[in-house]
This record gives sequence, C-alpha cells and structure tokens, in this order.
Amino acid sequence: MKISEIGIGRLLRISSGLVIVGLLLEIVSLLWFHPLSFVLFAFLAAALIGLGILVYLVSLVFVAPPPPAARE
Amino acid sequence: MIAVLICQIVLSIVLAAVFLIRPSVTHAVGWKIVAFIGLCVLPALCIVGGMNTHIQRSEQTRFCISCHVMIPYGQSLYVDDPSHIPAQHFQNHRVPAAAACYACHADYTIYGPLKDKMQGLKRIYMQYVSTPPDPATIRIAGGFKNAQCLHCHLGARSFEENAVHAALLDSLKSEQTSCLTSGCHDTAHDIANLSHLKLWRPAP
Repeated sequence: MKISEIGIGRLLRISSGLVIVGLLLEIVSLLWFHPLSFVLFAFLAAALIGLGILVYLVSLVFVAPPPPAARE
Repeated sequence: MIAVLICQIVLSIVLAAVFLIRPSVTHAVGWKIVAFIGLCVLPALCIVGGMNTHIQRSEQTRFCISCHVMIPYGQSLYVDDPSHIPAQHFQNHRVPAAAACYACHADYTIYGPLKDKMQGLKRIYMQYVSTPPDPATIRIAGGFKNAQCLHCHLGARSFEENAVHAALLDSLKSEQTSCLTSGCHDTAHDIANLSHLKLWRPAP
C-alpha cells in the first residue's frame, strides 16, 4: 500500500494519537522525580512525539488532499 | 518553569485531540495552519522544553542521590570534618548546595552536559539491568581531573596566593600532579568508613 492511499484523515489521526500519548508520557516524566524519568522521556515520550510529527509531515508531503466532492 | 511547560503540553494535547476527533477540519486553510502549530511546532517545542527541564533536573543533588548506590555519597556530604573535601565544599556553600554533585563532577566542555547524561544512562543500565556496584568500590573512569577543581579555584586569590599552589600551578594545570591523590587533599567521599564518621546535622 502506498502512503498516498492511506488518506490524510487517517494519517492525521495517527499523528494526533502519537503526539497525545507522547505528551501524556512527557507530563508523567516531568512529575515523576526518579532516575528513570529521563529514560521515560527520552526513549518513549520524545520518540512518540517525534514519530507523530514525522507522520504529520509525511501526510503533508505525500498525501494529496481529497477532491472537493469527497470532503465532509 | 515546569508549570509553564505543562500548560504548553496541555494546550498541545487539546489541539492534537481536535485533529484526532475531526481530521476533516484541516480542509479549511485556517485549520491547516492550526494543525501545523498543533501537530508540529508545539510538540517540537515540548520536546525541547522537556529535554531542557530533564537536563537541569539531573544537575540537582537530590536527583543524583535518588539512585540507591549514590545514597552514601549524599550522606558523605554531611561528614563533620573539614579535611573531607566534598563535605567541606557542600557545608560551606563553596558549591551550590542544590547542585553540589554536578558542580564538581560535571564535564565543563561544550558537550559536557550531554556527555555526563550519556554516562548517567550507563549508570541507570547498571542499576536496573546489570549488577549495581558496591558504593565503596565506585571509581571515576580516568580519575578525578584537576580541571574540575581549577574550574572554580583558578584565579581565586586565596588559591593562587597559597605558596604550595603557586609552586605547583603548572603541574596542576597539566594534570601531572593531582589535587586529590598527591597527598594534599586526599580525603574525598570516604564511603568505606562512613558509618564511623560523625555527621553534621544542619539546623532545621
């Protein structure tokens, strides 16, 4: 399946979901005073947020917007 | 500072939630800009803010001694004996008490904080994955560098007017003579004998 076939709506949902989960984990890491909090932030939260941003940018570059008739 | 960052994160979550629930709103030009801010700019700023906060937090004394093996090192800062160099620096605020460990153990180079963070990750691995070392056997790889002492003491009047320091200055700068192991200031964190040492109790 090509990226362009996935559809911008679905990619935006994936991107938003990743960003939200990453940001929630970042809040946990900020409120948790523990040596592992940095690991949680760097390897999970930041990675998920970064992936979310990447998916969003991919949706901008590779996915053409749907024709006007197909819009809600 | 953390409160501001958390507000920014909550705002990002709210914006991202809009696009999770109704991605079709991005067909409008105005919402495309909002999507760019909510799914790219704000989350990227949250990563930068989070990294900055975590690096600053890792400079705190209480963060360093939150690792089990570092607890005796934190206690050694309260040894009631001025010949114990870390205790003397900590108790007399010759280093910021809240960042006492970092003041003497940081690598003050351009990438120093990142290098220290990588070392910290190695210690977290030892703590949680491999076998944590006995606190009394922990040694700094490559030994304690004079540069850490000279970072603050070099140029200080009391340091440079001392006849011994003045005579050895070049040797200290070139690391040929160690501040700690040359017999002058040889008592650092005496973890092995900590239970026998009198500890200072600061007034509440």
